[in-house]
Amino acid sequence: MAALLGVFAWQSAPVWTQEGLGYITGTKWFYRQHEFGALPLIYGSMMVSAVALVLAGPLGVGAAICIAEYLPSRARFAVKIPIELLAGIPSVVYGLLGALLLRDWVYKTFANFEPLSGDTLLTAGILLGIMLLPTIVTLTDDALRAVPAAQRRAGRALGLTQAEVIWHISLPQAQRGIGAAFLLALGRALGETVAVFLVVGRQDNMLPSNLFSLEPLLAAGQTLTSKLGGSEINIAYGDPLHWGAMMGLGLLLLSLTVGSALVGTLKRSGDA
Amino acid sequence: MPRLADMKLTPFLLFLAAITCANAAPLKINGSTTVNLPVAEAAEILRAERHLDIQVDTQGGSSGGISMLAEGSVQMGMSSKPVSAEDQEKYPQCRFHSIHIGEDAVALIVSKDVWDNGVRALTKAQLKDLYEGRVTNWQQLGGAHSQRIAFFNKEPGRGTWEVFVHWLYGSPKNAPQVSFPEVGGNEETRGKVATTRGAISQLSASWADGKSVFALALVGEDGVAVQPSAENIASHKYPLSRPLFVLTNGEPTGDAKVMADFLLSERGQSLVEKHGYLPLNALVK
Repeated sequence: MAALLGVFAWQSAPVWTQEGLGYITGTKWFYRQHEFGALPLIYGSMMVSAVALVLAGPLGVGAAICIAEYLPSRARFAVKIPIELLAGIPSVVYGLLGALLLRDWVYKTFANFEPLSGDTLLTAGILLGIMLLPTIVTLTDDALRAVPAAQRRAGRALGLTQAEVIWHISLPQAQRGIGAAFLLALGRALGETVAVFLVVGRQDNMLPSNLFSLEPLLAAGQTLTSKLGGSEINIAYGDPLHWGAMMGLGLLLLSLTVGSALVGTLKRSGDA
Repeated sequence: MPRLADMKLTPFLLFLAAITCANAAPLKINGSTTVNLPVAEAAEILRAERHLDIQVDTQGGSSGGISMLAEGSVQMGMSSKPVSAEDQEKYPQCRFHSIHIGEDAVALIVSKDVWDNGVRALTKAQLKDLYEGRVTNWQQLGGAHSQRIAFFNKEPGRGTWEVFVHWLYGSPKNAPQVSFPEVGGNEETRGKVATTRGAISQLSASWADGKSVFALALVGEDGVAVQPSAENIASHKYPLSRPLFVLTNGEPTGDAKVMADFLLSERGQSLVEKHGYLPLNALVK
């Protein structure tokens, strides 16, 4: 892992020496002028992942509560196995479905807001949300099942309703595990390439003046992964600075995904 | 079944051939990435079926193909531009022999609603305005009513994009840096333009079907609109096109001749078409 980070750090050295921290805070990416600012890409990745988690989070936790707390164990397996299968579907399949169905749906549904096309950050976020849902459901279900049944019985014996047991006993105890599920899902969201690539629009330099505005969600954007997945890497080859800038994106991406997955895994294992 | 066995044996036979007769030199090919697509696939077929030893590379693009052929380090060059007088001057010892295998033309395609809005042709100046973001509404470009322009730019680095900016700005290096939503492959480009209102993009002409997307004519300096039809591409009246060549030093011989003949055969030409270019029979009509 450290070796991988090392390779990326070494390969991207030219851009760090030229741009310094401006590489991360810079808002313009014009490779032919040798201007490399990765902030719009980081913004794109964050927005897309945020939309995905906001959509898939509550839905996923709700579904997991239903599966873990209400279904008898046979039915639980009947539901859980297909969900885990869903989590394993290659992302290009989701991407193609998104390109076929979701683009048009977003384009038509949000027609009042006049998006220029169906390729938007929102489209990518919704698609990612759908992809993350099975991951969140199955990990949250595991976390809830790890809460000892004796505690639930004790709760019921004290006169709590089942809903109160879930709210006051199961969820608080599974908190760490659920947090881990979100972080692992975030890691996957940040690193997802193909599906996002097909629906995000891949438009550079789309940093809004107000970072908390929702308006840019309905515009095209670019994420760290969609930039790396495009053909610019072929142009960069042979130009040390440009190549360094592309490798720098790899370094940023790696740090973000590894960071969230690492914290998530630590939380999860600490919970068990 | 025998073919399958052949294919499995091929690497082994090549290996044997390589160690038993050292003077059976491989056919080396180098040059343009555009021409590389059909040629590399042809090489694969010839390797499997004729047991030829062929190495295809794309160092330095068309210019790399021309210079390496002239220096004798490859036996065949690939180029998406004709060999110029300067090239010949630079390498007087080389007798460049160009074999035209097809044509790569770029159409500017629009969605149906733009077509219905009455936009049928654009001038070079209008395209520059569009590319540099000075116009954002089809009404400014001859549309009957107001309609926003959704421009999908072909990814820089793609052959199609290079033909486009080469014509517009003289060279990809002179093209201004712009930020538009980008599209990659031909299928993606066509799909996105077809399903987006007010859309325009660059697309290999053979993919402009006239049903889901519509190719605009280009208006030349003389004010005449030229359609990207096969005739106009063949006669170079339509400016956004370039010929695709393989080059040899003198008449092709040996394996180079096998390759050249294959590219001109029906199967070879179908490979040219498969990769989005116009085959020769589409050019002479």
